[in-house]
Amino acid sequence: MRAQFVFQEIWIGLRRNLTMTISLVITVAIAMALFGTGLLIKAQVDKSQSFWNDKVEVSIFLCAKTSSNQNCARKDVSDPEKTELKKLLDGRPEVSKVVYEDRDTAYKRFQQRFASSPAFVSSTKVGDIPDSFRIRLKDPKEFEKVAEVVRGKPGVDAVVNEQDILKKFFGILDGLQWAALLIAFIQVVAAVLLVGNTVRLSAFNRRRETGIMRLVGASNLYIQMPFILEGAIAGLIGGMFAAVLLVGSKIYLIDQLRESVGFALELGWGSVFGIIIFSICVGVLLCAGASFLTLRRYLKV
Amino acid sequence: MIHFDNVTKVYKNQNRPALQHVNVAIEKGEFLFLVGPSGSGKSTFLRLILKEERPSQGHVHVAGKDLSRLSNWKVPHLRRRIGCVFQDFRLLPNKNVFENVAFALEVIGKPRRFIQKVVPEVIDLVGLEGKGHRMPDELSGGEQQRVAIARAFVNRPMILLADEPTGNIDPATSIGIMKVLDRINRTGTTVVMATHDAAIVDAFRKRVVELEDGRVVRDQSRGVYGQAY
Repeated sequence: MRAQFVFQEIWIGLRRNLTMTISLVITVAIAMALFGTGLLIKAQVDKSQSFWNDKVEVSIFLCAKTSSNQNCARKDVSDPEKTELKKLLDGRPEVSKVVYEDRDTAYKRFQQRFASSPAFVSSTKVGDIPDSFRIRLKDPKEFEKVAEVVRGKPGVDAVVNEQDILKKFFGILDGLQWAALLIAFIQVVAAVLLVGNTVRLSAFNRRRETGIMRLVGASNLYIQMPFILEGAIAGLIGGMFAAVLLVGSKIYLIDQLRESVGFALELGWGSVFGIIIFSICVGVLLCAGASFLTLRRYLKV
Repeated sequence: MIHFDNVTKVYKNQNRPALQHVNVAIEKGEFLFLVGPSGSGKSTFLRLILKEERPSQGHVHVAGKDLSRLSNWKVPHLRRRIGCVFQDFRLLPNKNVFENVAFALEVIGKPRRFIQKVVPEVIDLVGLEGKGHRMPDELSGGEQQRVAIARAFVNRPMILLADEPTGNIDPATSIGIMKVLDRINRTGTTVVMATHDAAIVDAFRKRVVELEDGRVVRDQSRGVYGQAY
């Protein structure tokens, strides 16, 4: 097969229906950008989730005079109660680490964390956050088992699972991811139809050539190759635009989101490029496949 | 070379068969005129040889092979050994003479050096010396048909099929075209030519097969076109 001849045919084909090619490139670019963004969000979520799973803690807040919980009877937790609880928690197989945090330490940590909103900090004083046991679980899913044991024990005010708070963040991200993938899917449908139309036009424009090719005994592969490559090249160009959009989406969407939500881990450029290359491959295969299927209908060999 | 063995062809959605019980044997190196009015089945006859259509009944053998047993992916290889010429030339208007002829070799993957060597030879053979760079619209009808013949013959086929090759050409020029086809026939290529042109058939005195309503009504060696026309 002579490459120069094939590429010449492709170039003629793409140039002849330039407007179709442009719209195809744009559609593929948007479809693949959204598809890639969905994957980026998913990668970010996966990465953050495993990161947070290591960090997430269960806090067991202990009774204070200010507590409204009846279990506490408006009294501070006593030292024997604390010892008893510590012993209980240490004995649980699900627990990997128990740290006692008194109200002073808790207040300092609070100050640090919300240093950016001084009004909020100044409206809070030592003692608003009670003493607590901060527990690291071996498996964050086993929260309920531990909570059940501790709840209602003398001196325990409330049991809070930090994971519940994170779940909301991840819920939002999950929503975003699916929205992106859904729109990407619709765009993919549009792209496939456009490829079909472009190839049909192309086959019609070149019916003389293909007729002669058939007649002189060109193989099916030879006759179909320019059309399939035409689709693939449009897909490739679209994919490259998508790559640019994906870099933008990483900088302006994922990184912004990460900063505002407080994800600890940045998604590395390595995985971004992996997703970009994957998206381009999907775009190219999609267009080539759609061309091939259309050809079976419109180019009888 | 070409054997029609009791071939009947009925097109879909048509009651009348295009060919009925046709038995024709064409030997290697023969020159055969296929005559008959429009709609008598001449084109169907040619299309069956190319396996562009399949017979509804019977078998077509080309070069000793039963076409009904030829798998689809081998059809291109069959067509490489059969050249085709049509009434409407079917040249590519955006390619010059050389490129039009070379196209037939390019698309079957022949190397460039081979093409550079063979194409000018064939252009000379059909009598278009020095016109390789002309575009089709700069040529007369007769010259365009010569280009089409060059393209059909450039791969040295065993068989040349010509469907009304002189249909669009004035009688004086037609004789030139016939001389080219005769020259090709003398190289050992079997030529089957469907035609309406009584003058040419009468002048050449080759084998004549006449079709009428899909039946062979006459098969004469050294025949004429017939009194009825």
